Amino acid sequence: MYELMTMASMMEDSPNAAKRPNFSAISNSNSNGISKTNSVLMVKSGVAKKLVIKNFREKPKLPEDYHAETWKKLKEAVVAIQSSTPISYCLEELYQAVENMCSYQKASQLYENLREVIEQHVKETVEPYIRGVQDRKIFLKEMEACWQAHCRQMIMIRSIFLYLDRRYVLQTPSIPSIWDMGLELFRKHVIGQQLAQTRTVDGLLMLIESERQGDVVDRLLLKSLLRMLSDLQIYQDVFEHRFLQATDALYTAEGRRLMQELDVPEYLAHVDKRLQEENERVLHYLDGGTRWALIHTVERQLISEHLGSLLAKGLENLLDNNRIQDLSLMYNLFSRVKNGLVELCTHFNSYIKKKGRTIVIDPEKDKSMVQDLLDFKDKMDNIVLTCFQKSEKFVNSVKEAFEHFINQRPNKPAELIAKFVDSKLRMGNKEATEEELERLLDKIMVIFRFIHGKDVFEAFYKKDLAKRLLVGKSASVDAEKSMLSKLKQECGGAFTSKLEGMFKDMELSRDINVAFKQYVANLRTDFDSAIDLTVNILTMGYWPTYPLVEVNLPKEMVQYQEIFNKFYLGKHSGRKLQWQPTLGQCMLKAIFDNGKKELQVSLFQALVLLLFNESEDLSYDDIKTATNIEEGELKRTLQSLACGKARVLMKEPKGKDVTEEDKFKYNLEFTNKLFRVKINQIQMKETNEEQKATEERVFQDRQYQIDAAIVRIMKMRKTLSHQLLVSELYNQLKFPVTPVDLKKRIESLIDRDYMARDKENPKQYNYVA
Amino acid sequence: MAASGATNDEMMDIGGAELDNNKNEKMFTLKKWNAVAMWSWDVECDTCAICRVQVMDACLRCQGDGNRQAGGKQPECVVVWGECNHSFHHCCMSQWTQQNKRCPLCQKEWSIQRMGK
Ligand SMILES: [Zn+2]
Ligand SMILES: [Zn+2]
Ligand SMILES: [Zn+2]
Repeated sequence: MYELMTMASMMEDSPNAAKRPNFSAISNSNSNGISKTNSVLMVKSGVAKKLVIKNFREKPKLPEDYHAETWKKLKEAVVAIQSSTPISYCLEELYQAVENMCSYQKASQLYENLREVIEQHVKETVEPYIRGVQDRKIFLKEMEACWQAHCRQMIMIRSIFLYLDRRYVLQTPSIPSIWDMGLELFRKHVIGQQLAQTRTVDGLLMLIESERQGDVVDRLLLKSLLRMLSDLQIYQDVFEHRFLQATDALYTAEGRRLMQELDVPEYLAHVDKRLQEENERVLHYLDGGTRWALIHTVERQLISEHLGSLLAKGLENLLDNNRIQDLSLMYNLFSRVKNGLVELCTHFNSYIKKKGRTIVIDPEKDKSMVQDLLDFKDKMDNIVLTCFQKSEKFVNSVKEAFEHFINQRPNKPAELIAKFVDSKLRMGNKEATEEELERLLDKIMVIFRFIHGKDVFEAFYKKDLAKRLLVGKSASVDAEKSMLSKLKQECGGAFTSKLEGMFKDMELSRDINVAFKQYVANLRTDFDSAIDLTVNILTMGYWPTYPLVEVNLPKEMVQYQEIFNKFYLGKHSGRKLQWQPTLGQCMLKAIFDNGKKELQVSLFQALVLLLFNESEDLSYDDIKTATNIEEGELKRTLQSLACGKARVLMKEPKGKDVTEEDKFKYNLEFTNKLFRVKINQIQMKETNEEQKATEERVFQDRQYQIDAAIVRIMKMRKTLSHQLLVSELYNQLKFPVTPVDLKKRIESLIDRDYMARDKENPKQYNYVA
Repeated sequence: MAASGATNDEMMDIGGAELDNNKNEKMFTLKKWNAVAMWSWDVECDTCAICRVQVMDACLRCQGDGNRQAGGKQPECVVVWGECNHSFHHCCMSQWTQQNKRCPLCQKEWSIQRMGK
């Protein structure tokens, strides 16, 4: 009908126009056929200069009624547009008419006339019409239709009056452009009317509420009307405020209700869904400026308000059941609100402390404690890694919590970790490859790091290491060395120096034995050298202490011992040797009716068996007198020989236990499918006293270690305040100490002249060289 | 660790035994003996009176040193005996005699009887 595109030829595009009105209502709907060229619609731009019309040589005289006639024509055209009827003039004529009016100083009046016509239409036609619509849903649609029509009309009108807009309006800052004038009038007479406004906003809120309840609503209608409010610059005043209030009320109620109805994972999933929906609402029809307040409201009412309950009600369960996805969601949701992660981390930390305590505190569960600790650590690490984004706060919290709970039970975890390592390093542990073992050791070291009394670990570790070394039960030299270097790295050389000393003793013993064989060969006596004697020489202090026992050895063994003593002490003056019968191992050749066997036995087992070379039957008392083996030890030894799997002796009367009335004879019919038979010893259970003794030794050793550390620090620093010395000590010592302990040791070193108080400042110490 | 000879106990099966006709042979014969002995300094008092650390351990100053050997000992941190039969860490006594030529325990003039090795 109207060829608006021809306007383009008259207008320069001005993409940089400073004052760019919002034509959203039009540009978003293709139905009116003018959507393609926004640039056409630029008004009040800087292009006026180029449109100065030249060549008015002189003003022609006009007829008297020219103005009235011209306005009549123009008004007709405007009314035609408003009533959607054809215009009886050609557009070219109308443009010219507007231009002429402006040229004859009638611009101001023309603007006033135009405004009047438009106001009249809006006030007297549009407003009464919309007032008449009763149905709430139809109302919104009609309102939207009116708005669209208004925009369409204003574009056409303005295109006719473009010259006025360019020449007059642009140069008169006090008046709005034709387009803005249209908006102003629509605002004033249509939406500004209380009834229409209330019905519009109520209708919008109702639609949104209905969508929130799950209904499908006309989003385009919502979008169009909300853009209308934005274009009319009343979005915030009449809509946004009420919308946010409604949102707040809805989610306040929903949060309270669903916290009762849903379990925590369901609730979290619901919150997640709600946040997505609200974000979509912003994308689809709300003004972008509403996003922050809207999302914030949802977060506050659905998350912040229930932080404490969510954590108290749900976290433990999620962690117990390793609900990775739910935990990730919880982290993500909580990270949106203030204090969310702080609270989560606090509860996570308490959970670890609580669960961890149950792992270490119950003596009934000692058997599985270390494996449980490793599993628990793996599980928590994995959660921090996959659910809590490896956040440093959480990583540190795990460490703090482990260190806290593992030391809730003094000494025992350290002891059990040592035993666990032993079980992995001992021969026969076939469950792991070298790499797996290495990885496992690394994991154990992580747990070990949390232990305060590391020296307790060392004491127990040493006991087991001694056993592995002396009985040749270590699975792998590499693994042993690797573990040692891990300990050294973790605790320093002072910590491992004695353990390293044990390995060194084993190496030195090998050399000593080579030299001893040479020595025996050179003796050239008539000595019956049928026994192959090997001695492991241990440095006292490096190794655990073993009970001192004296037993009666056969003459030839005593002789051998003396030869070795002479050999060894000749090489090392100032030393003495203490033989340890409890640790001795022997190989016996035995002749049974079914043939020869080699018996792998302990020294005590050997001593008992050798007695049967002299007599066939021996009573318990005979054996005790002959060997002088301590009672408990002897009973266990006899039990192993007469009641175990490989029964080399026979006991009368038969039975599982050995009593002092028993009689023994050797079992000539002994059979075994193997040639070499190992007769297992019956291990005495580690008694409480022994355990206490080990701990006792640890505590004594701590005194020396504190002394050594003080001397080491003072030697380096020469002079140091009490405070600094104490803090350095805390850094270096691998076990818990109190300031009182340290003070005592410092006093003792001052007494012994290793250090002295500064004469001027008694709180300062000087190293005494 | 292969240092001790008794390994592979039940692993080997040589099957039927060769019969030994020597009827005089004993029922049980000791073939191998892996013994264990602990060495320590042959001293009357196992604590060094100067540094009050056990003489089997390195003296206090040696323990304080950063570069330590296995066992925390310098090779020269051995025991020294005087003619009076009193014994100390050699390290401790060398330091001591720079100021005082007498035995800290009995005040007799210090002269070395022997050194640990
Ligand atoms: Zn000393
Ligand atoms: Zn020394
Ligand atoms: Zn003396």
